[in-house]
Parts: sequence; C-alpha cells; structure tokens
Amino acid sequence: MKKIKVVFTILMLAVSTCFYAQKYSTKIGVIRFEASVPSFEEVAGENKTASAILEPVTGNIAVLALMKGFRFKVALMEEHFNENYVESDKYPKATFKGKVDGLDVAKLTTDAKPYTITGDLTLHGKTVKVTDSAKISKSGNTITITGSFQVQPKDFAIEIPSVVSKKVADKIEVSYKLQLTN
Amino acid sequence: MRKKVVIITIAVVLLAGVWLYKGYLYKEVRNISKEAPAYTLTADELVSQYTNNQQQANADYLNKTIQITGNVTQVSDSVVTINSLIVCCFDEKPNAPANSKIITIKGRCIGYDELFNEVKLDQCTIKP
Repeated sequence: MKKIKVVFTILMLAVSTCFYAQKYSTKIGVIRFEASVPSFEEVAGENKTASAILEPVTGNIAVLALMKGFRFKVALMEEHFNENYVESDKYPKATFKGKVDGLDVAKLTTDAKPYTITGDLTLHGKTVKVTDSAKISKSGNTITITGSFQVQPKDFAIEIPSVVSKKVADKIEVSYKLQLTN
Repeated sequence: MRKKVVIITIAVVLLAGVWLYKGYLYKEVRNISKEAPAYTLTADELVSQYTNNQQQANADYLNKTIQITGNVTQVSDSVVTINSLIVCCFDEKPNAPANSKIITIKGRCIGYDELFNEVKLDQCTIKP
C-alpha cells in the first residue's frame, strides 16, 4: 500500500512538472508606447520589465506591466505620465489577458509568422478589447512574440489637458516584444 | 546705482530661467544607483509587507529607492531573484552572483507582479 502511495506521488509530481514546463514565460518583456506628434517633442515611454505567460496548448496569454516601470527620456514627462495621466499610485499596473488564435507551438519556426491576438487590455481602471496581428517565431525553447496596436487615451478615461493636447497624439502606438522561455 | 539694479535684475531673471530649465522642465532623469535608499530592509520584510497589505506596501515603497538583503535564488540574464519572491531587474547585466549567496541590492520598487506573485525592482545595482 505504502509503495503504491509513493509511486502515485512520484507520478503526480512528474505529471505536474510536465505541465508546468509547458508554460512559456518572461519577466523582462519590452513594451513601448509612442504618442509623438511630428515637429513636437518625442512623447514615448518604454517598459523593459513586463511579465508574460503563454500557455502553448490553449494559446492563452497573460501580460502584466507595472506602470512605474515605464521610463522616459525626460523626467518631467515621466512625472506627468505617472501623476496626471495613468495615476500609477492608484492604478499600479496594466494587464492584458487574451488568446493567440490557432497557435500550434509545434509548427512555429525561426521565421516569424503572423497570428491574431485578441483580448482585454486593462489599465487606469478601464478595460478595452484589443485585436492585433502579432508575429511569432520560435528558436530553441524561446518563443518570440512581437507586434503593435493602437489605443486611444479617452478609451481609458485618460484626459489630455487642452494645453498639451496638440503635442500628444490621439492614437497611441503600443509595440511589444516578448521573448518567452519554458 | 541704476546700472547696478539693472544688472542684478538681469542676473536674477537669468538664474531663474536656468533653474526653470534645468531643475524643472528638463531636469535629469533619476539615477537610482546614485540615490541614497529611502528604506533599507531585509527581503523577507519586504515580501511579508507586500503579502499582508499590498496597498499599504505600495503607498510606502512604490517608486522609492530601497535596499534589500536576501538570498540569491535565481540568476538569468539581467534578472536576479532574491528569496524566490523579489525580482530585481538590472539595466546592465550584473556580474552574476552565485546562487544561495546573501547579497544586498539597491533598486527602485515598481510594484507587485500578480502573474508571478513577486515584488519587482528595476534599475538595480549590487552593493559591494
């Protein structure tokens, strides 16, 4: 009886590590956004510490970026971004929960192929549906997902004061690069 | 006399202008490695404060330069994990510390990552 228990435990452990190993993840994903208007100062921030988890079997993907992790070339811009726009003390993170359509990890190659990712982007207390075309490749045990999409500040209840509204684009380009390993 | 007043006024205006430009509009971005830590604590203390009350911990530490001491549990690329629960991101790849070594790291607390249930620090440097 004892033996069976031991064997069973080992089996369960083996199975769970198997499943665990199948998840691909990163803690240093790069997310960049740009809201520059031509002939005005560059408005852009970059976060190099985003986390992401991809379940290869279901294609489910979860991404989390801590708002304080967005860094700017101009200190005052970073201050305004955190204090006036995204209110990062109140809403410290942005999350994306979605799905990669028709993902089959076995078919991924080093040549990046287009896939559609749809899901919910939540930040500043608001959730917006996002669809974009991502490029996915795989080399060794690293899956690389890159892509970009556009969002509007007003969708997330972020008000741009009229004084600076000419210097900040209506549509903000968000691009990302996630290198996930298992 | 008049000349003196004019010169002083111009000097004051110029100084104010420089201050406004350098100190406010285009002040330098923070350099965490040169900042003195606002808080110094052990890795365990930081983790327990975050697990007990995330909101309070965020109010205390978010965006602050903090210094933590704990065990190295994982090193990969530019990320050093302390006590399995604190993720320290480096701008430049650090001299990889050995696993299970006790080290002190200074960095900026950027919050709690609910995907991995970890506290995250960026712009880290290892204290010698």
